[in-house]
This record gives sequence, structure tokens and C-alpha cells, in this order.
Amino acid sequence: MNIEEIIDAFEEKGLEVKVQTRMAGVKKKTERKTLWINVGRDRLKEIVEYMVEIADDFPHFSVISPADVGEEVEVNYHLSLGYGSYMGEVPITLKVTIPKKDLWVPTLTDIIPGTAFSEREIIEMMGIDVKGLEDKRHLFLTEDFPDGIYPWRRDETAPKKINKLYEGWKE
Amino acid sequence: MKYTIPIGPIHPALKEPIMISCTISGEEITDVDVIASQNHRGIEWIGMNRNNPIQTIYVAERICGICNFCHPACLAMAVEEITDMEVPERAQYIRVVQSELERIHSHLLWAGVAAHELGFDSLLHYTWKIREKVMDTLEIVNGNRVTKAIMMYGGVRRDIKDEHVPKIREMIKYYLDLFGEVAKLFLEDKTIKMRTRDIGILTREDAIKLEATGPTVRASGVKKDVRQDTSYYAYPDFDVKAMTPDILTGDVVGDTYDRIVVRLLEVKQSVEIIEQALDEMPSGEIISEEKIPKILATIKKSDGEAIGRHEAPRGEDIHYVKLKSGFDGLYTWKVRAPTYNNILAWMPMLMHHQIADIPIVAASIDPCMSCTNRAVVLDDNERIITAEDLHNLSIEKTKEMMK
Repeated sequence: MNIEEIIDAFEEKGLEVKVQTRMAGVKKKTERKTLWINVGRDRLKEIVEYMVEIADDFPHFSVISPADVGEEVEVNYHLSLGYGSYMGEVPITLKVTIPKKDLWVPTLTDIIPGTAFSEREIIEMMGIDVKGLEDKRHLFLTEDFPDGIYPWRRDETAPKKINKLYEGWKE
Repeated sequence: MKYTIPIGPIHPALKEPIMISCTISGEEITDVDVIASQNHRGIEWIGMNRNNPIQTIYVAERICGICNFCHPACLAMAVEEITDMEVPERAQYIRVVQSELERIHSHLLWAGVAAHELGFDSLLHYTWKIREKVMDTLEIVNGNRVTKAIMMYGGVRRDIKDEHVPKIREMIKYYLDLFGEVAKLFLEDKTIKMRTRDIGILTREDAIKLEATGPTVRASGVKKDVRQDTSYYAYPDFDVKAMTPDILTGDVVGDTYDRIVVRLLEVKQSVEIIEQALDEMPSGEIISEEKIPKILATIKKSDGEAIGRHEAPRGEDIHYVKLKSGFDGLYTWKVRAPTYNNILAWMPMLMHHQIADIPIVAASIDPCMSCTNRAVVLDDNERIITAEDLHNLSIEKTKEMMK
């Protein structure tokens, strides 16, 4: 599948695709295009399953990176389609925006087992519940890390005391 | 009778803070669990809360000593995309040379570690002896053996000068001449074959579903390589092809032996990329904006998000950056090193093998270690050499090599 076919495939599903372009190469100038797609939480699994269906091989999953944007959290799923073909891989970010009052996403481990670590990480770092994930232990933080403190948050749950560990820190 | 054997938190066979908990039935491994929470440094937190984006480049370098070019490379790629910052053509080429030099030293370091895990220490010493050639080259070009401090938004901080080129070419010749010998030592030795052939198999299907990256996934026959798959820096000029073991052996098994084959092929590939880069390197500027406050101001007024992906020695490295105008630092910064994805592959690799296979199988994904220090030396009078002395000695040595 080339990039136009991939964009068409997502648009067929009623999704709006934003394309970011950057040039690379010196003698052989080539465009690098990345796709950014907003997906509702209720459609996330359907869209990922759809990606498995349309992939030549299997979608590549990189990581989940959540961003605290105030009242909401953006959960970015970085995937790609088309690896293995020369300059043919298309990085795709599925962005799920969820309110802080109702902070959960469904697990993708039943579709892509490789998402397990990343899902465990967003639980401990961002306080997002991952519904359906079997293993919810801490991944990088120690077992005794206090509950209710989430290092990636920008609100009152951020670990403010850590500041004091660094010399010269100014509040 | 079943036992659980902890390998770690820091085990002599795996000099890195991670724990593998193996359930053993007799000598056979019947279950594997990985406990990563041994040493979290909060690097992303520092980048998002304490540092300005320029300082974060140097924190990114310290995520991993070995991959100290790859992490700033991803960060810069993401920030440059958001701010639409130009990168001069020469800088694009220098970035390619730097990342390939890093791949050579990382793979040779790994080959030594692998030999050591097998108890073949003479091969460890031999591999690390020949690795010194690339370390010396790094020192000539960058002034330092390991941490390079070369990346900057919009380019690189130091040029590859004319006087560096003969030294780099000497290194290229050295490795191309040695390739046959090293391949023979690693691939034809009976002991190595016995300890690695059919040990720690990762099937193609497992490799894909567990989202393994780099040499780990390529050894299972999957042609995933960011340099081949997407265009960034000057890589489209080099027609990089993903290395799979069948190129050399005609077959894909997906075992520890195949992971050795892939890395050896990649060392050769990196040497050839550097040679081509030196031949075709364009002249001109190496950075689009030299004034640091201007770069910071550009970043501060930018809004947007982007990802930076780069093929590190261990596989795909990815950084996600979100910038918010008016915010001093990186509003969101997520780092994902290749080992993060490769650790999951330990579980199928180790199942039903023996305890004695754990070190080499664990090492076969090349888990990321931060072994960047030079040795601390005591002289005859037992005078302790301070960090300052070491620093001065290293400057002296670099000057000597430049002569």
C-alpha cells in the first residue's frame, strides 16, 4: 500500500487525516510524510484492527506517548504501516483525547501483544487506566512508588517534591 | 519441583539494572518475567520541567552512553520538524557519518560482550582491541571517545575537517581488511556455534507481534530498518538495505547465531556508508543558526507536535515532542529506546532453554548499558588520579593523536 491508498483507507472510515511533510536527502530529495489522525476512544480498537487488516505484513507499533493538555489528556499511539518497502513506511499517530475525569483507554494487547509495556507505562506515568490489560504492575517505577503521583502530569498530581533533588532548582 | 531464579537486579552476567525472573523445572526454563523497575532516572521529567530545550539535548545524550548520538538525533529531528528549521546539506551528511560510527563501535562492543557471556574471553579482548580503532576515530573527529556533544537544532556543532578524512579512511581500510577474519572467528568457531545455533529462537511471527526492532527483528527475517523504510537526514542518498542473516548464510533461523550474523553484516554496511559519505560530502555550512538565544526563541514561539525516528544500533529509536508557544521547555517529551520493545522478546527466546543459556540469550538483543567511563588508575605511589587529572590526560592524548 502506498501513502495515498493508506490515506484513502482511513478517510473511508470517516476519519480526518492530517499530513505533516518534511524533506530529507541531499542528492535524492525525498519527502517524509507522517499521518496524524484523531480517533474517538470508542473507535480505537476498531481502527487498530482495521490497520492489521490492511497492513501488508503487520502494523509496527512504536510507543504510546500521552500529553497532559489541561482538562484533557491526549494519548498518542505511534504506529506505522509498510515497513520493509524502500522509503515506503508511513508513520501514523492515532490521537485519542480523553477527559481527566474519565481517564481510561481500552487495551490493545489482544490485537498487538507488543503494546503491553507501553500500556503499563501510561498507567504509572499518567494515571490512565487501561481496561482489559491483565498485567497492571508498575513497569519502570518501583513497587512502593506512592499512588496518586504521576510524573508526566502537569497538574497537582505531578511529583513536585522531586524538584528539591536538583541543585539550583527555582520554584 | 519448580524454583524461581532471579537474574538481577544487577547480575554479573548482565551488567545492567534489570531483573529477569525465571521459573525453572529442573534445568529447563518454564516461565519468564521481566522486572524493569530497578533504576528510573526521570529523564523525561527533567526535559519537561527543569531544562530548556538546548540543555535537554545534553540530557538526551546521557539516556544511553552508547547511543549518545541517536537520542539527540531523534529529539532534534522532531523539534526541527515542528519549528520548520533548515538543516544544511553538509550537516545532514555529518549526521549520517556520526550515527554510522556509533553503530560500528556499538556492534563491536556487543560482539565482545557476547564472546564474554560465552566464556570466550580471548575473543572479547580481541574484539575490543579492534574496537579501539573506531574509538580513536571518534576521538579525532569529536575530541571525545564516547559522548560527542555534536548535535544541535538546525545542524551539528563540529565539522569533519579535511585533516580528519585520512584518519577516517584509514579506519575504513582497517575494518574492511579485517572483516573476513572477524567473520571467521565468530561464525566458524565450533564452540560459538554450539552455544548459539538454535538457542534463543525468536520466530518471525513473535518478532512481528511483539514489535521487536533492529538487529533482533532482522535476525528473524523481518526487513525493518528505519534507514531503509523512511527518509531522514541524508539517508535516501545511500540506498540502505535491511540486513537479514540469509544474505550471508542463505537461511533465516532467528536464533542467537543469526543475531551475530546480522550485526557483523551491519558493521560492514556502516563502514561502506561512511566511505560513500566521505566521497560525496557536500561543502558548506554545518548549522543554519549559530546563535543559541535565537534557537531558543524560535522554539518558544512554536506550536505543534512531531516524532523523530532513527535507526539506533539496537533498533528503532523514537522521540515524541509537543511544543506549546509561550512555554520555555518541551511541553511533552516521550523517549522510547529500542531495548524497550526488544525486552518482550526475551520471553519466547528463553522458554525451554537451560539456565546456562540465559546470559547469552539475554545479551543477544544487546540490552542497552551505560558503560561509558574510562578506568580509574592508581599509580605506583597509590596516588588517586582525580577526575581533573583524567580530563587533562584525555586532552593530552587527543592532542597527541591529532599530530
